[in-house]
Amino acid sequence: MLEARDLTYTTGGSILLRGVDVGVQPGRVLVLIGPNGAGKSTLLRLLSGDLKPTQGAVLLDGRPLGAYPPSDLARRRAVVPQASALSFPFTVLEVTMLGVTVPGFGVSDAEARKVALEALASLDMADLRDRSYVHLSGGERQRVHIARALCQLAMPTWRSGETRCFLLDEPTASLDLAHQTQVLATLRRQAEAGHAVLAVLHDLNLAAALADDIVLLARTQVLATGSARDVLRDDLLSDAYGCPVHTNQTPQGDRPFVLPPAVFATQATRATRSLPNDSNSRVLAN
Amino acid sequence: MRIQHSSGVLAGWFVIAVAVLMASPAAAGEVTLTDAGGRTVQVADTSRILAIGGDITEIVYALGADARLVGVDGTSQFPPSALKDKQNVGYMRALSAEGVISVGATLIVASERAGPPEVVKTLKTTSTPYVEVPDQYSPQGIAAKVRLVARAIGAEAEGEKLVSQVEADFKDLAVGTQRIKRPVKAMFVLGVQNGRVNVAGQGTAASAIIELAGGKNVADAMSGYKPLTEEAIVELAPEVILIMRRSSGNDAHDTAQLLEIKGVQSTPAGAGKRVIMMDALYLLGFGPRAPRAARELMGRMYPDLGGALDSGPAGTRTGAIK
Amino acid sequence: MTAALPIAAPIREGGRLASAHALVVFSALALLVAAFLSLSIGATGITLASLPRVLTALATGQHDAVSAREQLVLFDIRLPRLLLGMFVGAALAVSGAMMQGMFRNPLADPALIGVSSGAALAAVATIALGNGLAAPFTKAFGVYALPFAAFLGGVSTTLVLVMIVGRHGQLAVGTLLLAGIAIGALSGALTGLISYASDDRELRDLTLWMLGSLSGASWPKVLAALPFALLIMLALPRLVRALNGLLLGEAEAFHLGVDVDKAKRAIVLVAAAAVGAAVAVAGVVGFVGIVIPHLIRLVAGPDHRVVLPGSALLGATLVLLADILARMLLRPAELPLGVVMALIGAPVFLHMVIKRGVGGS
Repeated sequence: MLEARDLTYTTGGSILLRGVDVGVQPGRVLVLIGPNGAGKSTLLRLLSGDLKPTQGAVLLDGRPLGAYPPSDLARRRAVVPQASALSFPFTVLEVTMLGVTVPGFGVSDAEARKVALEALASLDMADLRDRSYVHLSGGERQRVHIARALCQLAMPTWRSGETRCFLLDEPTASLDLAHQTQVLATLRRQAEAGHAVLAVLHDLNLAAALADDIVLLARTQVLATGSARDVLRDDLLSDAYGCPVHTNQTPQGDRPFVLPPAVFATQATRATRSLPNDSNSRVLAN
Repeated sequence: MRIQHSSGVLAGWFVIAVAVLMASPAAAGEVTLTDAGGRTVQVADTSRILAIGGDITEIVYALGADARLVGVDGTSQFPPSALKDKQNVGYMRALSAEGVISVGATLIVASERAGPPEVVKTLKTTSTPYVEVPDQYSPQGIAAKVRLVARAIGAEAEGEKLVSQVEADFKDLAVGTQRIKRPVKAMFVLGVQNGRVNVAGQGTAASAIIELAGGKNVADAMSGYKPLTEEAIVELAPEVILIMRRSSGNDAHDTAQLLEIKGVQSTPAGAGKRVIMMDALYLLGFGPRAPRAARELMGRMYPDLGGALDSGPAGTRTGAIK
Repeated sequence: MTAALPIAAPIREGGRLASAHALVVFSALALLVAAFLSLSIGATGITLASLPRVLTALATGQHDAVSAREQLVLFDIRLPRLLLGMFVGAALAVSGAMMQGMFRNPLADPALIGVSSGAALAAVATIALGNGLAAPFTKAFGVYALPFAAFLGGVSTTLVLVMIVGRHGQLAVGTLLLAGIAIGALSGALTGLISYASDDRELRDLTLWMLGSLSGASWPKVLAALPFALLIMLALPRLVRALNGLLLGEAEAFHLGVDVDKAKRAIVLVAAAAVGAAVAVAGVVGFVGIVIPHLIRLVAGPDHRVVLPGSALLGATLVLLADILARMLLRPAELPLGVVMALIGAPVFLHMVIKRGVGGS
């Protein structure tokens, strides 16, 4: 289990996180949601070991993260960042293989290649494998890094009792609907394989579709933890986002969803501004 | 030919070294001498000579041995035929070991200023004798230089004649300088860069030749070639400014550029437009023409002494190079 | 579903890997050829055909004038020059590649960490003060005073830089870059100050040294450079994975198991030592550190498993070829190596930049 206990993080005089408790269990998907500035990315960075807590601790299988050497950490957790600094013309396949070759798991190039190709195939990127990374769109790049992280977790042999974590920061931000679905499916499969998955998502509906557990962060603190039904509530969301939010239930009744309020033009405003009368427009009463 | 190395490399007083010259050679036609570096060098074959240093080349030509000269360095600009007819091993402080060896000389006579040091070191290990000649900005220094080169190339008789001529030229010069009542205040300008004037201080060849010519180097409070501010130039108030002539001959611009500087205009030299331009190697090389250069400089610094200068033997002055 | 982007055709299947292998093999062969040429060509016209004669003379102990001359040229002039040239080319190219990986910028150069300006400062000081304040030093080391000083100057400058920037534990590359520029400027100012106090002859020497040359090559220098060659050969394989990881970004590298701070320090210090030694024996030779790794990346991609060995081999080759030109174009005189390198390197670099864009753009 990867957990944050009473985590506080301060930098440059500002408090970015206050007394946060979060736990990611093997085999489950935890999603972090919340408005901008709530501290989601900071929390992710603390959980991945990039940042050191000002107070509190991040524990992996009971030991503080700082106690693990970087090479050991690389065997147990993979991170997909929001954006990558890579600007050199690696091919897609090479970038994916870096997930194996940089940690150096003592694996032959041929094997690394095989794993990389499988990961790319699972994300529908197999025929992009020889494309230059710098020529990819934002969404394609994102999927390459997901593939790379998949490779990283696929390689080392699992020792029992060891939690392996998959941490992702906004993995679906630049993806179209089909690819979003594909990535969510991948994450679910990762959890089923026994990994502990944590994803930061800004899209509440995707969170509802994916998560076993949701943590709502707002104003540097945890506002709520629980299942989608427990957390995606009008009062909690309105408080967190600072604007009126109405949730609904899917027709099957299995999970909540949230729609943004419609912003269509009314008859009155259209008349005063001489806009064409569009018979397809209608006002949705919320 | 065998070379025996002594210990250490000293840039010492060559006059002392001359006194230690070993008189009798080990074999017929073979000469043993001690060079500026204190090394004992044995020279047997002087049929192919490589001269490194403009002054050394001048001396070889003056000794009449230029037929035996197979190579010179890039600074050997007098006589002009040197660089035209002989192989050029490049700038003397940037020699190429294999390049020098490829000239196939049987004797290398080099200024002590030759470099880089590793190449000189390598050249001293070859079977070709390498004679290092000192550099001294004085009449004694020139005489010693001529004697060493002459001895090395086996032209000692001509060497003594040349030394006599040089000494006679210096005597003529002394006759002239003794008539000087008040030394002219002179300044040597190496060049003008971005309006900054580079001036010769003490310890330079320029300063030495000014003093020899009976002038006073106004900038002798500093040493080496340094840029001076305009104010400093005004304060030093030279009466005469000395500059070098370019080898290309396009030097009218230089004088004009110099006189454009306000600081220079405020000096007696600038006001009277007293700028003397002379050939660089002639003036600063401290080769056998040095006393004549000094004499010409003196003549131009003290034009009223003009008549008193024609007291030397007429034959010694071979067309002064302007 | 693949994104329908109208970009240049993708590289052929296995194309990158095949190119990489081909490039390393080609570079190794090119180096062999260059080494052979370097030994066979020279102002004296002596070729390797003389080798049997020289070896016989060595074996029997009987030398005549001809074989002695040939031995001198082949073994005391050309061979040390060949070895030093290979070292200088490999060291500069590899250090350039490492800097580019660490700064994630194809234009990065070891000069950014102050090693070249520190070496130049020490060289100026030795040249200018060699007969004055530094006389005991120059007397003690003789001809090797200058290389030794240059090396010390280069490495100490980098050490000071690393200590200043890394004093709170982390070595931030952004800060390293700016501090490196500042220290470079300071070294430059001090160099200027000392130059001002130098005389004409010393200034000439300094200018020539700054232009770079292998003409001072000798066996003691080869021996002095040997530990650094070994350092490079031992350290580089260990740094490959870290360098690849750093290309993704420091956070990513950490996620992939790289001890980022340790790696950065190792990279900086190895580069400083290698460049310090190269500058010490050959003066300032430019372009190798930027042009060579770039060429390798263009053909074989940015994977350091190829870029590092490829750069070493191709860098060595380029320096040897440039040195042949330097020695032969104006024989019996010699051009400074740095000049030839710039004459070759600048147009090639310009061409590369115009044609393909730089690095990842």
